[in-house]
Amino acid sequence: MSDAFIKISNLHKSYGLGALKVLNGLDRTIARNDRLVIVGPSGGGKSTMLRCVMGLEDIDSGSIEMNGESYISTGRNGKTVINRALQKQIGMVFQHYTLFPHLTVRQNLTLAPVRAHGISPAKANEKAETLLTRFGLAAKLDAHPSKLSGGQKQRVAIARALMLDPKLMLFDEVTSALDPELVFEVEGMMSELADGGMPMMIVTHDMNFAKNIATEIVFCAGGVIVESAPPQAFFGAPQMPRTREFLKTIRSGGSE
Amino acid sequence: MDFHSVISNAGQLWSGLIITLELSALTITISVFTGFIVALLSISPYKVVRLPIRTYIEIFRCTPALVQVVWFFYCVPVLFNVFWEPFTMGVIVFSLNLTAYNAEAYRAAIQAVPGAHGDAAVALGLKRTQYYRFVVFPQALRLAVPVLLTNSIGMIQQSALVALVAVNDLMYESKALASQTYRPVEVFTTAAAIYFVISLIMSRVVEFVGKRTRRLIDAR
Repeated sequence: MSDAFIKISNLHKSYGLGALKVLNGLDRTIARNDRLVIVGPSGGGKSTMLRCVMGLEDIDSGSIEMNGESYISTGRNGKTVINRALQKQIGMVFQHYTLFPHLTVRQNLTLAPVRAHGISPAKANEKAETLLTRFGLAAKLDAHPSKLSGGQKQRVAIARALMLDPKLMLFDEVTSALDPELVFEVEGMMSELADGGMPMMIVTHDMNFAKNIATEIVFCAGGVIVESAPPQAFFGAPQMPRTREFLKTIRSGGSE
Repeated sequence: MDFHSVISNAGQLWSGLIITLELSALTITISVFTGFIVALLSISPYKVVRLPIRTYIEIFRCTPALVQVVWFFYCVPVLFNVFWEPFTMGVIVFSLNLTAYNAEAYRAAIQAVPGAHGDAAVALGLKRTQYYRFVVFPQALRLAVPVLLTNSIGMIQQSALVALVAVNDLMYESKALASQTYRPVEVFTTAAAIYFVISLIMSRVVEFVGKRTRRLIDAR
């Protein structure tokens, strides 16, 4: 594929010195206009896949390329080598907000741009105000995270990641810790980003949201991608038995 | 009860109190800094650094302060052939003791910062040193402050132990005054009251700071 932005090749990852294999030779390319929603059973490797793409995990073997350049690979001694310059092009939001509680919303947004990316405080500040105004959070600029609702915290966390102009956004179960009535505002913000053309990889348990936002659903189980297809085809006519079984479980209200 | 002899000799108790406060203030100030450095060393990824530091911490946490004071005053001059003023010896031994306790307070606070913040910091492109400087330490310091203050109150009370080894602190002067005046009940009651008032004021400060800290913890 010529427009491949990220190319994951034969990625292996295990925890506890190989005791628990999580990724078993994962292959996948992500194009510039892709919005992949990754679904699958617990322990199937969804979150690990995202964490590897972010460069948060050491890998056993395999590689990830970005724009044809080596982004993550293993060195001669088996250690994981991460190209930090390329890593900066990816943003990630987590299940538990991870806002820094001792900083205000404004400071949460400007910390990394000013301290790690050489952006002037004035410019970072202006950008923070623009972003939060756009997402209806301007009133919370100088509040501490403790004064925000879960939904607001998560939206601030998304804005914080956007401060660095990522070329790809990763969302790891960002609505799982939220009360049901707050899920909508966070998903709404993600949809807005999607409309703006932001490439995404999303791990979620919300199948309705998956259907609406995804360009492609990726079913991940046993550390590999079992099947991937556009939402209509994926939910309407799944090809693999393992996929059908999974869809049956979630439709019958199972916990997967 | 007749406090007349206490009041007329207030100057003697006062000079003892000054020594107690000087000894405590010096020890607390030193240990706030050394405790932090020792805490960092105690979580070092290198065993050669970590093990000796942890051994030191455990020795001082697992022996009575009284034994530490007595051992230091009687054994260190003999073993190492050094002779310092009793006051200096007192500052050193209590600093060693309080540093060990403070180091544990700092270590616990550093480790209480959620590991997920480290993931967020990587995702934001912060370097490891930046992560510690801007994310971990500011949170950890706020979490550690109430424990540091509690440790410091304990230290002020323990400082009375130096009276046994001829440092003329509040307790030492009280003992002297009690035997001069034959009024042990009045003198020691006064001494107890002074220690009580100092500690009470400090524990009120701890409570106030603790409330503010709890707000920070709730924020997570």
